Amino acid sequence: MARKSKESKGQPAERGLWSPYWREFGKLDHKCWKDLWIMKPIWVTLKVLWRTTAHRPVTVLYPYEALWEPDNYRGRPGLDFNKCLGCGMCVNMCPCQAIVLVDCPDDGGNTVRRPQINIGRCSFCAYCAEYCPVDAMTVTPDVELAEYTRSDLIWGPRRLAYDKTTEGMKVKLETTLISDFKNGNGERRVEPCRVDHPKLEGKKCISCRKCSKVCPVAAIDMVEHGTNAKGRPILWPEVDDDTCVGCAQCVEACPKDALHIEEVL
Amino acid sequence: MGYYTSIQDWIAFPDPLANPYYPFGDAYNLPYDISLKLWNIVGGAIAWLIDLLFPGNAVSEWLVCDMTANFFALVIFMLIVFMVVFIAVLVVLWEERKVLGRAMDRRGTMVGMMGFLQCVADGFKTFMKDNIYSKRVDGMTYWWTLSLIIGTSVLIACMVPLSDRWFVVDYECGLLIVMGLFALAPFFILVSGWSQNNKYSLIGGLRAAEMMISYEIPMLIIIATVALQAGTLNINGIVEAQYGTLPYFIPQAVGFVTFFICAIAESERAPFDLAEAESELVEGWQTEYAGMKWGLIMLADYLRGFCACGMIVILFLGGWNLPGVHLTEWESWLPVPELTFLLKGFLVFFIMVIIRCATPRVRTDTILNLGWKVFLPLAILNLVIVVTYKAGGIF
Repeated sequence: MARKSKESKGQPAERGLWSPYWREFGKLDHKCWKDLWIMKPIWVTLKVLWRTTAHRPVTVLYPYEALWEPDNYRGRPGLDFNKCLGCGMCVNMCPCQAIVLVDCPDDGGNTVRRPQINIGRCSFCAYCAEYCPVDAMTVTPDVELAEYTRSDLIWGPRRLAYDKTTEGMKVKLETTLISDFKNGNGERRVEPCRVDHPKLEGKKCISCRKCSKVCPVAAIDMVEHGTNAKGRPILWPEVDDDTCVGCAQCVEACPKDALHIEEVL
Repeated sequence: MGYYTSIQDWIAFPDPLANPYYPFGDAYNLPYDISLKLWNIVGGAIAWLIDLLFPGNAVSEWLVCDMTANFFALVIFMLIVFMVVFIAVLVVLWEERKVLGRAMDRRGTMVGMMGFLQCVADGFKTFMKDNIYSKRVDGMTYWWTLSLIIGTSVLIACMVPLSDRWFVVDYECGLLIVMGLFALAPFFILVSGWSQNNKYSLIGGLRAAEMMISYEIPMLIIIATVALQAGTLNINGIVEAQYGTLPYFIPQAVGFVTFFICAIAESERAPFDLAEAESELVEGWQTEYAGMKWGLIMLADYLRGFCACGMIVILFLGGWNLPGVHLTEWESWLPVPELTFLLKGFLVFFIMVIIRCATPRVRTDTILNLGWKVFLPLAILNLVIVVTYKAGGIF
């Protein structure tokens, strides 16, 4: 800048050792000085070198050394067979449609419905573990899942069992809404799906009891609401909100679309 | 009982200096001694066997005569000198990869012997590769510059003496020969980049030439300064002069730093690897060289890097002498001075690796700025300092 202003005034530019180049060089913040000033990066490099030599580098020799996984590392899904309700929440939530409910015998020999996961389609998003109302579906740190055939990639309910489940693997779905903050309630809602419950549109109900039959937690009671023209009792489902897990199986089972899930959040 | 001579009559372990064809004059040469005795064992055993079959024949006499022994000893001598340099370069390669890895929070090479065998694996790998070359290259320059680059690099690496008894030549102007051969490579790189019919190669070659004019002059001035202070251009003489006074990196600290950076530029290592800037030009002037050609070029690169370290050790760090320990007078056959020299070289190379790790690549204009506006004044300042020493009679 100084040089330009001087030239604009018509004065001859200084030359030699009195030139602006050397004046700026003497200030020690000139470009050339910075070019020479390589001691700082060298010092940083030596520090890293000392640390990695005295201790160890971050690199893990993977097949020979175990990888460290955090508690809720999202590996393959795991399943607690006896805890599972067979509600199908995971099936509905799976973005890859990797989960189907299959019939299989439980420990007592009764046929129950449990999820079966195609690991080849799974994207390890852990939505199933987040939305599982009873924390039967978990994430596991198991990532070595290679198989020789595609059919081996399909994990049945018993194979999904994982015996070292910790509390952190039961991923909880937590939500906080802006409206909650505005109302002064900043606490996180744990398992918000529990808030959504089926509602009945009474006129459509034909009292077929299908909803109460499919409910995995037996939250639906058929309650009498008077009699119809033929004198038979009109039974409407009544949902116990504390027991209901919001799995929407009743909604799917209803032949007349009389039930729908009322979303609170 | 027929004709029989003992094998001990044929293997006598002669004194090399007593051989009339001994090529090194008065100086004792350890690798020549080793190779002469090795040939004495091999040739003597063959001669003894032939003599058992055909007693008193001429071939046996020829195999152990002075001239033959000298010839085969020189062949083995060349092999020994090259193998030592080669293994030193492999160690340097391993050192660079390990140090670079650790400085980047990695592990570096992991194949066998703490990663040392990775060099061997890489050698085999490049050896297995196809010998691909473009038909549109200028054949003569393409092939000749390649062999000249590799050849001169191997030559200078062998010319660097490991001690006063481990040398190939011991001229009065030995320093100038080494540095002259060292400075040849940029010309070959320029021609090679031109011959490859490839824009990246051409840019790489031009950059090598441009870079050379910026670092070569301060470097030669500093060499002249060292020679001035030592009073000789003989490498042995320079090392001895440093033992007599101080290692020259203390009185010539300015010159040492300047020469160090110039030596990095001379061996075209990062941050001065403009000619093969792999992030801008594909592989610079090496782009069209595939397979073992490229492998040999990399080997030559590291030979030059090691050679630059050797020159720094000779010029500034007291060569094969330790402070207070005059290893020039080492009598035993144990290679202590040679190992001292190599260890010093590895130490210098370690600092080179750290600089490579810590600094980004210079630009083409920056290297010109550095060379002409920083290094050249510093080199002349160093010269003035040494002239002051000389005039003041300090050294």
